[in-house]
Amino acid sequence: MTGRPQSGPCFEIRSFGENGWMAQITDLGDIVATALYANAIAKSLRMNFQLAAGIIDAVAGIDSVTLRFNPAAINAKQAHQALADAIGATPFDQTVSAVKPIEIPVCYGGEHGPDFDDLCTYLGLTPAQLISAHTSGAYRVLTLGFAPGFAYLGPLDPALAAPRLDTPRQRVEAGAVGVAGPFTGVYPLASPGGWRIIGRTPARLFDPKAPSPFLFEPGAEVRFVPIEASAFSSHRRFAP
Amino acid sequence: MTAIAEILSPGLFTSVQDSGRAGLRHLGVPQSGAADRLSLACANAALGNPLGASALEATLTGPTLKFECDVSFCIAGADMSAALNDKTIPLYQPIEAGKGNILTLSAAKIGARSYIAFRGGVAGENFLGSFSTYSPAALGGIEGRALKKGDHLAGAGLKALSAQAIPRSLRPQFTHDFILRASLGPDAAMIKPANLEKFFASAWSVDRRAGRMGARLTGADIALADAHPMNSSAVFPGTVQCPPDGAPFLLLADAQTLGGYPRIAQLIAADLPLAGQIRPGDRVWFRKVSAEAACDITLQKQALIGASLPAFSFY
Repeated sequence: MTGRPQSGPCFEIRSFGENGWMAQITDLGDIVATALYANAIAKSLRMNFQLAAGIIDAVAGIDSVTLRFNPAAINAKQAHQALADAIGATPFDQTVSAVKPIEIPVCYGGEHGPDFDDLCTYLGLTPAQLISAHTSGAYRVLTLGFAPGFAYLGPLDPALAAPRLDTPRQRVEAGAVGVAGPFTGVYPLASPGGWRIIGRTPARLFDPKAPSPFLFEPGAEVRFVPIEASAFSSHRRFAP
Repeated sequence: MTAIAEILSPGLFTSVQDSGRAGLRHLGVPQSGAADRLSLACANAALGNPLGASALEATLTGPTLKFECDVSFCIAGADMSAALNDKTIPLYQPIEAGKGNILTLSAAKIGARSYIAFRGGVAGENFLGSFSTYSPAALGGIEGRALKKGDHLAGAGLKALSAQAIPRSLRPQFTHDFILRASLGPDAAMIKPANLEKFFASAWSVDRRAGRMGARLTGADIALADAHPMNSSAVFPGTVQCPPDGAPFLLLADAQTLGGYPRIAQLIAADLPLAGQIRPGDRVWFRKVSAEAACDITLQKQALIGASLPAFSFY
C-alpha cells in the first residue's frame, strides 16, 4: 500500500513477516526532518494505550518505521491500520526543539581518536579544520539503534563524509565519537563498531540503574565542544 | 542471596539468560534472552518456575558446577550428557542435588544449546528488567559476560509454583538438517527473483562463526541485484539479511536493532526457538510460507504448547 499524509512525504507499507509491518518513506528529502518524523510516528504507536497490549515494538530507522505486533492480541489488518493511522496523524515537521542543546566535551585525535589522522588524510583536511567542521555542527539525535543507546546524529557537514571501516572493530570504547556516511554518532557503551572514531567524550552517557539509562533521545539537539587531552580525566565525572 | 554453585569449568560459552528485554528496540537495546525460549520454558516449568525465569544457557560444550547448597535443577534443550557425581541424569526432569555434588555437562552431539534451570532462578545483574547477558555491551548476567572458572552463582529467590511434567511431545527433536519456515522480508524485492528462488531452494551451511547474534550461511551466491545502499532500518531475531557478499545472515536473540542490509526473509515465530539450536556445520533449508499462513501455524503451535504451558508465547 502507498499513501501520502496531508503535508508529509510519500510512504509505502511492506509486510515484515507474520507480525510486522514496515513503513518506508520513499521520497527522502531532508534527512533530519525525515528521521524525526519517523521517530514521532514510532513514539505515537508506543504511546497508543488502546493498542498497548498488541504492540511489541515500534522502531524508527532513518527513513522508516517498523511495527511489530502480537497476533494473539491484534490481527495483521488492525496493525496495518494502526501504522497508517499513526502516519496520517503525525505532523511532518518535528524539527522545532524547545530544549537546550546537550553539550558534549570531546577530546579529538591521539589515543582517543584512533581514526582521526587517517580521516584527515582521506578528507584532505588539517586536524584543526576537521575539529572545526565537526564542532561547528548543530546536530539532532536522528534515531537510536544498532547498539544500546547509540545515537545517530545529523546533519554532518558533507566535507566530513567518509565510508565505514572495511573491518569493524571488535571493541569501541564507551564515549567514542565517530563518523560514517552522512552521520556522526556517539557510543554510550563499549561495543563492536565500524564507524571511524575521531574522538572520545569523558562525559557519562549511560547509567544502567536509571529508569531511562541513556542520555540521548531522538530529537535532542547536540553540540560538540573540543577539550584538550589533559582535560579528559578532569572531565571524567562531568554529566551534561 | 543464596550461593548455589561454583563454576569449576565454564564450558564454551555459558551465560545467564531469561526471556530477555522485550519492547526496548527503539532504545537500541536488543531482546537477548534464551536463544531457544521453548527449551528454557520447559526447564523452568519442570521446576515450577515462571517460564521466562533466568537460567544458564550452555553452548556446544557445557559447564561443570559444584553445588554450594541443596538445589533442585532441570536441564532441557540439547543433550550434553549431563552427569551428577558421574552418574548420568535425564533431561526435562527435576533433579535434587546436595551441597558438594558436582554436575558435569559435556559436548552436545546434536543441537547447540542446553538450559540449566534452578528452582527459584539464577541471579544476574538487572538491566532494564532482565538478567539476560548481552555480552557485546557487557550488560546483565554476571558482569555482562560468559561465565568463567571460579564464578559463583546466586539464586534469584523467585517464588516457585507447582512443578509441571513436560510431555514427550514438547521435547524438540534436534537435527543437523534444519528446515525452517520463513516469510518474505520487506526488502525481498531488492534481490533478483531467481536469487530469491535460490534462497528458498538451497541447502545452506552454517558458518563456524555462528553465535547468539546470528549465523552466517554459505552455499549458493545470492548477491544483490544492485547494491544501492539503504538507510539503517529495523531488524529482529529471525530476520535474514543479505549483505553484499551474497552470504545470508540469520539474526538470533542478540540481533542488533537496526541494520543496513536488505532483509529478504523473516523466520516464522514458531521456528525461532529451533533456530537457536543450529550448530556451525549444520545445514539449513528455508521453506517459504505466506505471512498469513505463518501466523496460523505459530498460533496453532502455541495453542498445542499451551495445553501444558499456558503462559508460553512465541511473540
